[in-house]
Amino acid sequence: MLKLLIVIPAYNEAESITRVVDDLIQNYPQYDYVVVNDGSRDKTAAICRAKGYHLIDLPVNLGLAGAFQTGLRYAAENGYDCAMQLDADGQHLPQYIAPMLEMLEDGADIVIGSRFVTVLKPRTLRMLGSYLISWAIRLTTGRAICDPTSGMRMFNRRLLEEFAQNPNYGPEPDTISYLIKNGAVVKELQVEMAERTAGQSYLNFARSVQYMIKMGLSILLIQWFRKRDTVTPYPERSL
Amino acid sequence: MDTMIPLVLRALLILGSFCTLVFILKRVRHAKMQIEDTIFWIFFSALLLFISIFPGLLYWASDLLGFVSPINLVYLLIIFVLLMHQFSLTERVSLMDVKLRTLAQRVALNQEKLDSDRKPAEEPKAEPSQPQEKD
Repeated sequence: MLKLLIVIPAYNEAESITRVVDDLIQNYPQYDYVVVNDGSRDKTAAICRAKGYHLIDLPVNLGLAGAFQTGLRYAAENGYDCAMQLDADGQHLPQYIAPMLEMLEDGADIVIGSRFVTVLKPRTLRMLGSYLISWAIRLTTGRAICDPTSGMRMFNRRLLEEFAQNPNYGPEPDTISYLIKNGAVVKELQVEMAERTAGQSYLNFARSVQYMIKMGLSILLIQWFRKRDTVTPYPERSL
Repeated sequence: MDTMIPLVLRALLILGSFCTLVFILKRVRHAKMQIEDTIFWIFFSALLLFISIFPGLLYWASDLLGFVSPINLVYLLIIFVLLMHQFSLTERVSLMDVKLRTLAQRVALNQEKLDSDRKPAEEPKAEPSQPQEKD
């Protein structure tokens, strides 16, 4: 079986982190996990220490991309075959990890836990961004990604090494689009997601607009000029 | 119409915006710049391009605001945009200073913890080894 690391980036998730991690420990002990505390201002790190969770505690706030990359560096340096992101707010359900792993073993480079493969994407304002990004990815790569903004993504060894060391590899749709254009095999698995039970969404209106501008420019313009650098400092493990 | 933007200057603006764009994209290509940092420069070069291709809007605006010459408005606009960017850069550098300080302190505190954890273990060992060294 592939050795999987579940990376749980956590920023101010004191209310929900125990539920997510306890569920993993009790019901899915076959998977390794690591909580990456992204310089939270609440008691996230203290709770993790008290509970004895496997924790990487960042001394400053790096943002989601930096926190997730920390987890992937840990995976790369400790010989994991694949890694995935699991949100600390409990939106991502661990019951889908096993089928995602299967798809990865069948030869996918990236597996996305997607809400809209067989389910129709609701035509709401909240999903407008998702529609636009799907359209942009289709336009530039010819591939349909039904749920590009889903954070539930699993990466194989080759890609986790690439993510671990390059600066412009945020866990965002533009990276997915760029990697598809460079020949990565991306598959989607229909999953259900829970509503967040604590905390609040990071995206307000201004941030959403900023996010869309960045994704739009990155997918439609910048990715044509990016040069892929796959030289890895982990030669003994790379394919 | 001696107050219009001269053709040479328009050509220069177009050239300038293209050079900005090419330079920025080159930095991204070699992963020397993060994508979010390029957004400002892409919009900036688009603004320069827009001004040089469609100066009509500028004439109208400078007339409305009472500028002696439209080119003054161009300069003012560019200075304003750069000032805003300068302000946001100052904010970022300041924040980075704080983060760097926190990081350095964390490393030093961790090192101190390592050192003080090691000391009590080393001291009892050092005593029995002293007579051996004398021989």
